Amino acid sequence: MRVLAVVPAYNEAKALRPVIEGLYRTGACDVCVVDDASTDGTADVARRLGAVVLRSPVNLGIGGAVQTGYLWAHHHGYDVAVQVDGDGQHDPAALPALLAPVLAGTADLAIGSRFLEAGGYRSTALRRSGIRYLSWFLRLRTGARVTDPTSGFRAAGPRALALFARLYPSDYPEPESIAVAVRAGLRVVEVPVRMAARAHGVSSIDAARTAYYLAKVSLALLLLPRRARGASGGAATP
Amino acid sequence: MIEPLFPRELQLLGIVVLGALLAWVMRLIRAQRLGLRDSLLWLVSTGMALLLVTFPGLLWAVTRLLGVKVPANALFALAILYTLVNILAGALGASRNAEQIRRLAQECALLRAEIDALRTDQRDRG
Repeated sequence: MRVLAVVPAYNEAKALRPVIEGLYRTGACDVCVVDDASTDGTADVARRLGAVVLRSPVNLGIGGAVQTGYLWAHHHGYDVAVQVDGDGQHDPAALPALLAPVLAGTADLAIGSRFLEAGGYRSTALRRSGIRYLSWFLRLRTGARVTDPTSGFRAAGPRALALFARLYPSDYPEPESIAVAVRAGLRVVEVPVRMAARAHGVSSIDAARTAYYLAKVSLALLLLPRRARGASGGAATP
Repeated sequence: MIEPLFPRELQLLGIVVLGALLAWVMRLIRAQRLGLRDSLLWLVSTGMALLLVTFPGLLWAVTRLLGVKVPANALFALAILYTLVNILAGALGASRNAEQIRRLAQECALLRAEIDALRTDQRDRG
């Protein structure tokens, strides 16, 4: 199976190098960096390291950026797409473990969870309780048992890849995309991973925005789209 | 004889203001600065408002139909509804545009990468 690592990056020129090198070291995937209109030379760093660069002319936010990667994977015949953050939070060495259930065909979407095993960075207490709440709410709405619904470290098999190329939420997309996958009948599993605190820069969700984040995601989970809107997306081919 | 809802001067002012708004919308359409699709609601709703102001008897009928005691309240409610509906229509248009912009930007990113790949191919061959 052909595997593409999709690395969304916004002004991550400093953090990107070890991520890309780590991904190539696994020997498991091609690498594509989605540069979400960075201003710090993120695209050049990625290109020098040999990654395919998808450079958006405007800042799309994480959802739009990640979907660009899924579209590329979809158009270029990849079977599996793995999302890995460009900021160094996710350890590329965990890739084979994350890919395993998808490659074995036992899951359509594998999510890397930092809460299944001890160790690693687990975020602040406030955000942890927010995550616990989201986990509960997601289970209430879809029946999915996911301990780390905000994790952006995930592997999508052929069915999930096709779905996400067509339909992927825009802002704060992680929990909602799990719900979309479950509603579409996909099998979602979790794999224990370790995460690191960000090496550089600030997270796109600071403490003050946590409440807004939770409200927004709750609303999104309450008002899940009935079905994927197909017409506008995924049709264009190079 | 029903009591007039507002003095004749005020009614005249309402007609003039709404008529001007209607004329402005039509001018924007003819100048192709406002799409017909986005303006239809403005034309219809402003036309209806104009009708109500010109013939206050209609407003009385609406008031009775709604069971509102004070006609002025029905007028306010209708005016607020008119505003909200038109704002919502605007928000719908903005959402539609945002979705299309997202798709276009993604397509740009994909095409740029295709061009990069073609250039690299060409360089390697040449």
